[in-house]
Amino acid sequence: MNILVCVKQIVDPDKIEYNSTTKTIKRSSQHLMNNPADLNALEFALRLKDIFPDSRVYTLSMGSLECKEKVKELIELGVDEAILLSDKRLAGSDASATSYALSCAIETLERFDLILCGDHSLDGETSIVPPQIAEYLGICHIASVVDIKPKDKDTLEIVKKVENILAKFEVKLPMLLSVKKDSNFVRFPKLSFMIRALSYEPKVLSLDDLRDIDVKRIGLEGSKTAVDDFEKEKMESISCKIYEQGSISEIECIAEVILKFI
Amino acid sequence: MDYFLTDSQKIIKRLAKKISDEVISKVAGKYDKEGIFPRDILDLLAYTELTGVYIPKEYGGFGGGVLEMCLVVEELSRNCAGIAVSYAATALGAYPIMLYGTENQKKKYLPKIAKGEAIAAFALTEADAGSDVSSIKTVAEKDGDFYILNGNKHWITNGGEADIYVVFAVTDKSKGPRGISAFIVEKGYEGFYCGKKEDKMGIRASSTTELIFENCKVPKENLLGREGTGFIIAMKTFDRTRPGVAAMAIGIAQGAYEHALRYAKERIQFGQPLTSFQAIQHMLADMYINIEAARALLYSTCRMIDSGAKDYTKESSACKVFASDVAMKITIDAVQIMGGNGYVKDYPVEKMMRDAKVTQIFEGANQIQRNIIASEIVKEL
Ligand SMILES: Cc1cc2nc3c(=O)[nH]c(=O)nc-3n(C[C@H](O)[C@H](O)[C@H](O)COP(=O)(O)OP(=O)(O)OC[C@H]3O[C@@H](n4cnc5c(N)ncnc54)[C@H](O)[C@@H]3O)c2cc1C
Repeated sequence: MNILVCVKQIVDPDKIEYNSTTKTIKRSSQHLMNNPADLNALEFALRLKDIFPDSRVYTLSMGSLECKEKVKELIELGVDEAILLSDKRLAGSDASATSYALSCAIETLERFDLILCGDHSLDGETSIVPPQIAEYLGICHIASVVDIKPKDKDTLEIVKKVENILAKFEVKLPMLLSVKKDSNFVRFPKLSFMIRALSYEPKVLSLDDLRDIDVKRIGLEGSKTAVDDFEKEKMESISCKIYEQGSISEIECIAEVILKFI
Repeated sequence: MDYFLTDSQKIIKRLAKKISDEVISKVAGKYDKEGIFPRDILDLLAYTELTGVYIPKEYGGFGGGVLEMCLVVEELSRNCAGIAVSYAATALGAYPIMLYGTENQKKKYLPKIAKGEAIAAFALTEADAGSDVSSIKTVAEKDGDFYILNGNKHWITNGGEADIYVVFAVTDKSKGPRGISAFIVEKGYEGFYCGKKEDKMGIRASSTTELIFENCKVPKENLLGREGTGFIIAMKTFDRTRPGVAAMAIGIAQGAYEHALRYAKERIQFGQPLTSFQAIQHMLADMYINIEAARALLYSTCRMIDSGAKDYTKESSACKVFASDVAMKITIDAVQIMGGNGYVKDYPVEKMMRDAKVTQIFEGANQIQRNIIASEIVKEL
């Protein structure tokens, strides 16, 4: 089984800073991290490899060369090949342009039986990259996946969770699934993988390496959306009503409110 | 302090630290209180391949030495020495096989230990033979293709949990220390039982038990080295594993220091943090100095051993004595700095103080280590 996991290097949300003139997130390398939901997706890929050891797990990331160090951490977990799509012309790509660029990279690379993504990145929060990649590639997509188990080499049993509802599906590959954050426990690195990562050089692709890419559809110019402004949400001070010697009707009303929450 | 570890040593330290901080720190209190054997943590160490760091590559290990073993023990001990000792005692059981095993014995046992499929133990001490190890009474009598073992062992770490035991027994009473031999005994051998489990002051997540041998049949090919070399095997093994006790002590001390430092910075009394009082500052500075001094002595000793030195008995004893005395002092001071909060189980330093004590006692009490060092330096004069 050939599995590809899209892993984004994001800025640690606790250390995030916006550049209000360029309307982008400041990306300084020391605060980069692999997007948590993408690691949950990777964990499912590695579990499939545990079951089918002749499988190969690839990761694809898009970002500056500074992302290389974080990409190496994926090798430490047991990824076979890590690919970084890095090109200055990609800067400023919105979700749509990103999906287009990633899908061009995927088409250039290999034939994948399964493509996994995290269902949203902690910095962008759009959740639309995975379905758009699937659209560009012309394969099916299921979002909000919380469990993946193989039935056989080309059929998976998956569980999707929306609100409190779990829905089970049996899907035929190829397929793109986007995985919810915290849907599994991401494994620890292994010493031998860490040693491999020491000298591992991620395969870096530029736009010139991609087949049939239309550069007018990527970067700031190729983006369909533009960020207008960033604003940090101000938490309204929560008004608190103190009930003293409340009447029966007030107590019932409180009970109703509490019941709604539990 | 930069100890100029190699890239692979840095990786080993980072991986052990990650496990210690992300997993061990969360279970240490519970495992200590309930005396839970950390099989799940040992499984994780096996998965991450840290179980094999000190075992040669040809037997399925990583090919590191005593320093690699110590880096793991130190990091695990920062959060729980009880858990770390289960790992370290496996090394104590593996070293006699690495040093004195036949090719067949090495091939049979070391890959399992390296992969974490087997836990090992080292059984020397008896009720009446602690510091005076040469007075052990367990006997091994040759009977055809077997040795028949009879006797009891006390204080055996990983007792009942281990799969492979290196057991010391007398094969010739008339020869004193030269009449002791070492055997590899597997769990499940006929006549081999695990006795009482000790209810200990510290390192409570580890299992310390009595072992009972009642006409236990051990195949003769399980004799380690030659008959009569048991005492030498034990001493040469300790030379390599006492640094492991030092690493445990330094890990405990480092953990206690980190907790005390953080607490002292946050705790406000008389309108200022504890770190503003010189009495506290000096205690913290002494902690730092002593930890670095102990670590420098430990790593130097390990490097000496790993680069093939022939004799390192006094260096190995010195780092064990110094680090364990440092750990005891530092954990007592950490409790002092944290006041009432240091004395209760809500904070980990109380446990660290209990755990530190054993590092002055086992693998040869510190008084015995000083005897060894003294006899070596006087001999060298
Ligand atoms: C938790 C734990 C785990 C252990 N694990 C193992 C294990 O896995 N395998 C194993 O074989 N053993 C193990 N031991 C045994 C340990 O090595 C002994 O406890 C240790 O060697 C001391 O022996 P003892 O307890 O009999 O004390 P004793 O020998 O009775 O000594 C008591 C005190 O007298 C002092 N003393 C004794 N002789 C002298 C002397 N000549 N000069 C000066 N002072 C002296 C000692 O320093 C000590 O403080 C373990 C012990 C503990 C507590």
